[in-house]
Amino acid sequence: MSAPRPPIETPLPLGLGEPNIIVTVEVNGTTVTEQVPTRLNVADFLRHRLGLTGTHVGCEQGVCGMCTVLVDGEAVKSCLLFAAQVNGRRIETVESLAPTESLSPLQQIFKEEHGLQCGFCTPGFLMTTTALAESHQLLTEDEIREELAGVMCRCTGYEFIVRAVKRYLDGVVHTSRDDVAADSNAN
Amino acid sequence: MTTVTEREAPAPTRPQGSPIGTNAARKEDDRLLRGAGCFADDVDPARVVEMAIGRCPYPHARIVDIDVSAALGAEGVLEVFVGADVAARSDPIGILRPVPGAPAIPHYALAQRTATYEGQPVVSVVAISRHHAEDAIELITVDYEPLPHVSDVASALAPGAPIIHPEVLDSNLLVANRQGAGDVEARCKEADVVIEADFFINRVTGLPMETRAVLAEWRPGARELMVRTSTQVPHLIRKQLAESLRIDESAVRVAASDVGGGFGLKLGIYPEDLLVSLHAMSLRRPVKFVEDRNEHFRSTTHGRESVHHYTVAARSDGHILAMSDVYANDLGGLNSPFGSSQLSTVVFNGPYKVDDGMVERRVVVTNKTPIGAYRGYGQPEVNFAYERIMDQLARRLGLDPVELRAANMVKADELPWVNPTGAVYDSGDYERCLRMAAKAVRWDEHRRTAHGPGSDGRYRGIGFSSYIERTGYASSKFLAGRGSQFGAHESVTLRANRTGGIDVYTGVSSIGQGSETVFAQMCSGFFGLPYDAVTVHAGDTAMSPLNTGAFASRTVIAAAGALAEACAHLQAKTLRIAAFIMEIEDVNKLKVDGYEVRHRDDPLLALPLSTVFTRAILGQGIPDGESPGLEETSYFEPEGAAYSFGTAAAIVNVDSETGEFEVERVVMVHDSGTPINPKLIEGQVLGGLTQGLGAALSEELRYDGETGQLVNGTMMDYFAPMICDVPPVELHHTEVPSPFTPMGVRGAGEVGCIPPAAAVANAVCNALEEFGVELYRLPITPERVWQALREANGEVVS
Repeated sequence: MSAPRPPIETPLPLGLGEPNIIVTVEVNGTTVTEQVPTRLNVADFLRHRLGLTGTHVGCEQGVCGMCTVLVDGEAVKSCLLFAAQVNGRRIETVESLAPTESLSPLQQIFKEEHGLQCGFCTPGFLMTTTALAESHQLLTEDEIREELAGVMCRCTGYEFIVRAVKRYLDGVVHTSRDDVAADSNAN
Repeated sequence: MTTVTEREAPAPTRPQGSPIGTNAARKEDDRLLRGAGCFADDVDPARVVEMAIGRCPYPHARIVDIDVSAALGAEGVLEVFVGADVAARSDPIGILRPVPGAPAIPHYALAQRTATYEGQPVVSVVAISRHHAEDAIELITVDYEPLPHVSDVASALAPGAPIIHPEVLDSNLLVANRQGAGDVEARCKEADVVIEADFFINRVTGLPMETRAVLAEWRPGARELMVRTSTQVPHLIRKQLAESLRIDESAVRVAASDVGGGFGLKLGIYPEDLLVSLHAMSLRRPVKFVEDRNEHFRSTTHGRESVHHYTVAARSDGHILAMSDVYANDLGGLNSPFGSSQLSTVVFNGPYKVDDGMVERRVVVTNKTPIGAYRGYGQPEVNFAYERIMDQLARRLGLDPVELRAANMVKADELPWVNPTGAVYDSGDYERCLRMAAKAVRWDEHRRTAHGPGSDGRYRGIGFSSYIERTGYASSKFLAGRGSQFGAHESVTLRANRTGGIDVYTGVSSIGQGSETVFAQMCSGFFGLPYDAVTVHAGDTAMSPLNTGAFASRTVIAAAGALAEACAHLQAKTLRIAAFIMEIEDVNKLKVDGYEVRHRDDPLLALPLSTVFTRAILGQGIPDGESPGLEETSYFEPEGAAYSFGTAAAIVNVDSETGEFEVERVVMVHDSGTPINPKLIEGQVLGGLTQGLGAALSEELRYDGETGQLVNGTMMDYFAPMICDVPPVELHHTEVPSPFTPMGVRGAGEVGCIPPAAAVANAVCNALEEFGVELYRLPITPERVWQALREANGEVVS
């Protein structure tokens, strides 16, 4: 039942026969153009073409949420999109959150609240929360749980994640209200 | 709902400024929060190619023929292996922790003549991409002859059942063994009441968010196989790979940097680890395998499934005379690389004092994915049995279940105590945790006032589950007697660097437990230098001393001793060299203080650690007779296992018509001994508790009896808790130091998942007490509660 070995002189096939497409996309502020197989999904594109390995893959089925990134500011599961579908669009990944030495306020709060253990799901929670913060709404703990229901975590039991997200969102809303108050005072 | 933390213990005395016992910020966090962790699939070396696996779609089948010719000619395909290729190049996969007395079931990385579970690897393909490799799998024709299969323990042991491994066994019973003390039968005859019941524990999976992933690279000129993999045990992977590949251990290097969760599933080599290595050696290119989630459900080890026939005998006043458990583990089609769970036997009696006890374990082969270690390793299973039967006993005798538990618990002043299977319970105050839990849920008030449905028509119930957990191992001697391929110790290497810091090297990989943090806290505390000056390098066999690994809630217990010893030696040498440089005669006048060595009486007399370390590393300007270098390796084995303990309580509200229920709140009182980092312990307990609640309420891997197929093997269909599913949780702590471990630490990694199932089941049964409902099966779904209501009413429910 041994498999026949390929004759040694056979040239190794290169895999160039599959359909490819050229994609131009802005990723974390930089515009990139890449030729990719049409069946390459965005998560694999980010990870293995651009080396942005902070976006993780947990199920390739849109359930676990590890691969959540922002596309034009909206949190989406990048395993469910083909790279071809983000042509001309803007993507932000976890690598965009702290471009400098220090952690971003959201990352710092996750650290202080012990909102991560193995860290595999963390980028999913960080990006979902980043999108959520855009709405500048004060959310209750139950509402936060509803909003984060698209990302799974098997380590933490979620409690400290909810605490971290609540603290961060409360801070964002208060800061923006202060800004509004400051603006109106200036006027 | 927030978590409440309450301590009932005197604050331990520690050196001033030591981070031991504080909530030090995690070393692991910055890189993980930036998305800069390094998981196994995050590395793409030049010329890397990928492997995909063709798996048996049947639970049991003879492999008649495999035609790979079309795949070999397909675009991008580099190599295809079938069973015979693997048998020619490697040996069968070994087991790290065999069940005593069980014969080996040798199996190769690819199935040979027969496959014994759905998902077993049959053919491997390497191609220029995973896409191409999967396309090629589609072109391979395997001629299977489906064989009769068995999907549960009962049918596997029934007369006439197909024998799955006739080459080794004459039935599907792999092994049966018995342990105990006293005379259970005699005590049962004397007893006023004897209760026996069968408890069915569901098959679940640990479901780490990162699936298995492995990358192998062979450098033939250097004879080095570099394996990057997602594992809890790099040094044990190295051992197993070298054995199966028939090469020297020195030729294998295994590195696990960041691991996206383990929970016991990543203990030991899987067929794919061996296959990528074989392909990498044959192709002389790096080969990667990343398991997809559908494969994960079928090929990574499952956990728990077992049936427990539990017996308790007692006097009418509630005094327990004997306990016994006859249980069967549903092993699946093969032995997993670690082996099936064994601790149901060790802690069969939980925290209860009983001199007459017996446990019989049977390990039964079925045509399902192999069972391996999963967080708790037999302890959640047996806890469900003994804690359910405690409530049944209380009901039968008309006693308060809290008082019945308290009266039978081993008392604090009776410890250490040896149970009938030989386990040495170290220290603790089991009753205090139980009382604290009862108080937190206002048990006395509930018992007085809860009669009939509440204003919403629902019945409110409270249930308890008291537990103990063996953390760590009794000893290496104990493990040797059971054929285990590892010791009870841990090890560290400390190396001073020229910057004035210490590098810690450990074989314990970072699986989320925070061991880098805790090791750094201990190194800082023992040596006296700042926490920030310690860097932990984890999980690379080329850098770290040989060790056991990240499992069995044991790394801190053992590593604390190794760190203490290594730090003591390193500090003594540091001070000797510093005394020489500072021209101080009495070395005892010096101490390490922050980034300096400082004189105890003259604070202005100080020398930077970087100076001392640099001198030592250069061997220049050190005392005559002092060896150059500043490095220390220590191994440490604790005196014995430390038993964590506690009580969980659950409050539920149940609809007596539909069986639907809601978990209102869960309280857990636990003791993990002296904490090194209380916040990380809370994280471990909360995470374990959530996994335990998932297994109690919603998780179950279901096999169709007729086809033998796993019917819910996707994340869409397997209901692990999402963020909305977790009930409010409250944690309470006590801190009783263990006499057997450095600083009195106990493990904390697994406790959370032990008690939730029994606590919730007992709460539901308490709520529905007037209907006479008893629950015997996990998970506890509304449908099961509804069935139990009908059965209690004398109806026959199919």
